[in-house]
Amino acid sequence: MERWASSSCTEVTFAEVRRYHPVEMTDAMLVQNVLGGDPAAFTMLVDRHAPVCLRFATRMLGSIQDAEEVTQETLMRVHRTLSRYDAQMSFRTWMMSILVNRCRSALLHRHRRTTRVMLDEEAVKQASVRSAAHDVELRDAIERAVAQLDAGQREAFLLKHVEQLSYDEIAAVTGVGLSALKMRVQRACDRLQLLLEEDRYA
Amino acid sequence: MPRDPRDDEDLPQPLRRATELLRELPPVREQWRRDFDDSLADDREMDIDRGNRFTRRGWTVTPLTAIAACLLCAVLGGAVVATLHRSGDTSQTASVKSPSPASQSGLNVRFDLVAPGASQVAIVGDFNQWNAESLPMRRSADGTQWEIEVRLPPGRYTYGFVVDGKLTRDPRAPEGAGDDFGIPNSVRMVSRAGGSL
Repeated sequence: MERWASSSCTEVTFAEVRRYHPVEMTDAMLVQNVLGGDPAAFTMLVDRHAPVCLRFATRMLGSIQDAEEVTQETLMRVHRTLSRYDAQMSFRTWMMSILVNRCRSALLHRHRRTTRVMLDEEAVKQASVRSAAHDVELRDAIERAVAQLDAGQREAFLLKHVEQLSYDEIAAVTGVGLSALKMRVQRACDRLQLLLEEDRYA
Repeated sequence: MPRDPRDDEDLPQPLRRATELLRELPPVREQWRRDFDDSLADDREMDIDRGNRFTRRGWTVTPLTAIAACLLCAVLGGAVVATLHRSGDTSQTASVKSPSPASQSGLNVRFDLVAPGASQVAIVGDFNQWNAESLPMRRSADGTQWEIEVRLPPGRYTYGFVVDGKLTRDPRAPEGAGDDFGIPNSVRMVSRAGGSL
């Protein structure tokens, strides 16, 4: 990744890199391009990160419609505040911190959250489209189990094991201390196992 | 972002397959993507954005420019608030007319509501921090309508009317997204070129 940004390659413009090596454009380079006035670079950031945002928000809120809404809010916020982005933190971590906050607000403000998380069949169905038939059952079971977790445990579990952030990154994203996070993830795993077991024998 | 498979070591074995299923990325609906691009295009056209006065794309923000920008925004922000208060006050007694509607401080945007039975109506929104005291509306000559003109810079505004203490949305304007939180509100776009939309 470094080689495109190094001084020995200054003759290679970002536009050329993007045309021939779209994968080589790091998030940091795209951010730099957006700030330099290239709107197409933001489109690339959205294409790259929207699926991740939708995944987290769908699992967190249990509703595709809500997930699309908070994802849109998040990415618009990213766009508006991009010049404040501090490259010390990875772009993804920064974006996730905005997304996590939006999801928390959505959960706080929506009184129907319990039923939505539990009963949105559409979310389960749509998420299952790509699975092989024998995985559909397991996926339904884990979806139901995740929806039953306490919101703090669900957030920590999803960030750790689905989004695969490090504990340090999760702490930065959530503002929760490391030991508390580890405890939440541990409890989430215990409860998920229990719920999957119960589901199997139900 | 590829991760070392050892990251899963602290994931209990019975959960591994199930968690892998959770990691599959959902499809991005084309309609959602198009709507997002439209919102983004609208956003780009608007010069002001709430909560983002310190941000301008394309700037390199050094500590000095940040401080200078903060001071500038504080001064401009104060001026805008003062202008809003002034227009709110004068609207009680006289129609607000601007000789140059597209001057720097904004455009005169007219809001009205048919509420013949009401005794007191005010407008609240992003532009006055939803303060029901700051922008009271005046009754029209025939007594059926309540009106106000608010001077606003171009942008997207969420607002509502307080009719005898009860918040209501503008029946003739698009609903705002925040309505899902139980707060009735409407959206008004103010464009630089042609006034309110």
